[in-house]
Amino acid sequence: MSRKFLDTESPAWVSEGLITEDQRRRLLARYPPELVQAVGLLPLLGSILVGLSALSVVAANWQSLPTAVRLGLLLGSLLAAYTAGEYFLRRGNRRVGHGLLSLGLVLFGAGIILTSQLFQLVGYDVSGLLAWVVAGVLLSYLYDSQSLILLPIVIGAAVQTYCTQALGTFSYATVALVALGSGYRWWRRPDALVATILALGLLWQAGLWVAVSHAKITWFFIPAMLVYAAGDWHRDRAAGRALQGPPLVAAYLFALGLALFGETDQYAGLLRPPVLAYLGALAAVLALSAAGKRARAHLGSLPDWLLLLPGFYLPGGLPLAIATLVVLYAHAGSVLARAHRSGEAGQLTLGTVLFVVATMVAYFKLTWAFLDKSLFFLIGGVLLLSLSWYLRRRNAQRLAAGAAAVTAASEAPEPA
Amino acid sequence: MLLRLLVAAQVLYVLGVAGAGYATTAYGQHIWLATSPVDLHSLQYESFVRLRYAAAKAPLTAWHGAGPPQRRQAVYVLLNAVPSPDSLATVAGVYDKTLSPGAGQAVLRGWVTDVYSRTLGLRYNLERYYVPGDSPLRLGKTSPAVRVRVSIAPWGQARIERVALLPATAAR
Repeated sequence: MSRKFLDTESPAWVSEGLITEDQRRRLLARYPPELVQAVGLLPLLGSILVGLSALSVVAANWQSLPTAVRLGLLLGSLLAAYTAGEYFLRRGNRRVGHGLLSLGLVLFGAGIILTSQLFQLVGYDVSGLLAWVVAGVLLSYLYDSQSLILLPIVIGAAVQTYCTQALGTFSYATVALVALGSGYRWWRRPDALVATILALGLLWQAGLWVAVSHAKITWFFIPAMLVYAAGDWHRDRAAGRALQGPPLVAAYLFALGLALFGETDQYAGLLRPPVLAYLGALAAVLALSAAGKRARAHLGSLPDWLLLLPGFYLPGGLPLAIATLVVLYAHAGSVLARAHRSGEAGQLTLGTVLFVVATMVAYFKLTWAFLDKSLFFLIGGVLLLSLSWYLRRRNAQRLAAGAAAVTAASEAPEPA
Repeated sequence: MLLRLLVAAQVLYVLGVAGAGYATTAYGQHIWLATSPVDLHSLQYESFVRLRYAAAKAPLTAWHGAGPPQRRQAVYVLLNAVPSPDSLATVAGVYDKTLSPGAGQAVLRGWVTDVYSRTLGLRYNLERYYVPGDSPLRLGKTSPAVRVRVSIAPWGQARIERVALLPATAAR
C-alpha cells in the first residue's frame, strides 16, 4: 500500500467511521513520505559514474599498459573489493558489504580471464575457470547472503556455457559443484528465489549436456526431473515448490509442443531415445520423487508426472496428438482438483489457464481440418465465451461461499 | 579469517595463471605458424585481430582416428617443425588421441570446426591476438602476412609468444 493511497483514502475511512482521526494521523506517521530515500540514492549513482569513468580509462589503455601494471591493477582491485566488503560488514552495513564481496568474486573471474588473455594463453580444459566456481561456492558458505548464493549458480552456468561452446566438452565437475555445493547451501537455508534460479541454472546445464552429447532431447528430462524430485524431499514446501517450478514449466512446454507438432512423425522421431534405458531412468526418478512425496505427505501433487508420460513412442499422427491432449486435460484437471481442495487462489487461476490452453490447442488441432473457416471461428468464439461465463459463475459461487463462511465466523462470537 | 584465506588463495591463483604464462615460454617448445594476411580493420573497434592460420586447414587424408571426424571434436594436431628453428610448421597429421611427437615435431591441440569433402577446418583457440600497444601491427595500414611464434608447454597449455611480419623475416 503506497503512501499516496493512504493520503487520498484515509479521510473517507474517518468519515465512514472505520478509524478515528487520531488513528489516521498515527497511520500516516507510520509510513513517512519517500522523498528522503530518493535523495539517499544520489551518492550511490555518483560513485557508480565515477567508477565507470575509471573503468573506461583503464579499458581504453589496457593494451598499452605494461604487464606488471595490468596484473597489479587486477589484483589490486580484487583485494580492494574484498577488503572494503569486510570493512562494511564489520561496521554492520550488510548490503554494501555483501555487494562488495560479490564484486570481489566477479573480479576474481575477470582476473583469471584477463591474465590468460594477457599472456595469450590457451587452456584445453575448463580447470582455469573451475577455480572461479569453487571460490564462489566456498564464499557462499562463509556469509548469509542471497546474492552470494546466487552468484556461483550464475557463474557455473556461464563457465559450463564456455566449456561446451569453446572447448566442446561437458564439465561434470562444474555441474557437480553447483548441484551439490550451491544445492546443499540452499537445502540448509531454503529460499524461493534461490530455488528458482538454482533450478534454472541446473536445467541450463542439462540442456548444454544434451546438446554437446548429441543425445535425443528427451534425455533432458532425466536431470530436470531429478531437480524436481529434490524439491519433493525438502521439508520447506514453499521452497520445494519453487525448485520444482522450472522443471514443470519445461515439461509442460514439451507436452504442449508434442500436442502441436507431434503429428509429423519426423519430429516425434527426434524424441525417441532407446525405450528400455529411457523408461528405466525415468521410472527410477519417478520412484525417487514419489517416495519424497510420501515422506513429506503431499502425494496429491503426483499428477504433475502426467506431463512426463512418454507419448512420443506412439506412432506419429493423430493418435499421438490426441493422446497428448488427453494428458494435457488430465493434468489441468488435476491442478484444478488440487486447487479446490486446498482453496489456493493462485493454483485455481493456474489450473484455469492450463485448462483454457488445452482447450484452445485441442480446438485448433482437431477442427481446422474439417470445419468451414467461418464456422471454425464462430464455434471457437462461442466455446470461449461459454467457458468464460461458466468459470465466472464458478468463481462467484466460490466467493459467495467464502463470504458466507467469513460472516458466519464473525457473527458467532458476538453474542458472548 | 576464512575470508582472508580464500582471498589469498584467489590472488595466488591469478598469479599462478601469470606464472603458467611465463613458464609456457620458458619450458615450452617453440614453433612458427604462418597465417593468411591479417585484416587490420577490426583494430579500429576492438583490441584484437583475428589470425587465420595456414594450419587451420588440413587434408582429410591427414585424419587418423577411430571414426570419421565430427564437428566440435577435440583433436591433436601433429606439426612438422624441422629443420631450422625458423621455418614454418606444417600439419603432418590430425589425431583423435594424444600422441608423443618425434624429433622436430610438435603436437598442438585444437578442435574440428568443419568437415568438408576433402579437407578439415581446424581451430586452435589461438585465433584471437590481442595486439599490444607497441606492435608493428598497430602502425600498418595494409593487410600484412605474419608468422606467429607459439609456445607449447609440456603440460598442454599453449600461448602466442609474439607475432612477426613476414617480409621482415624474408629479408633476414
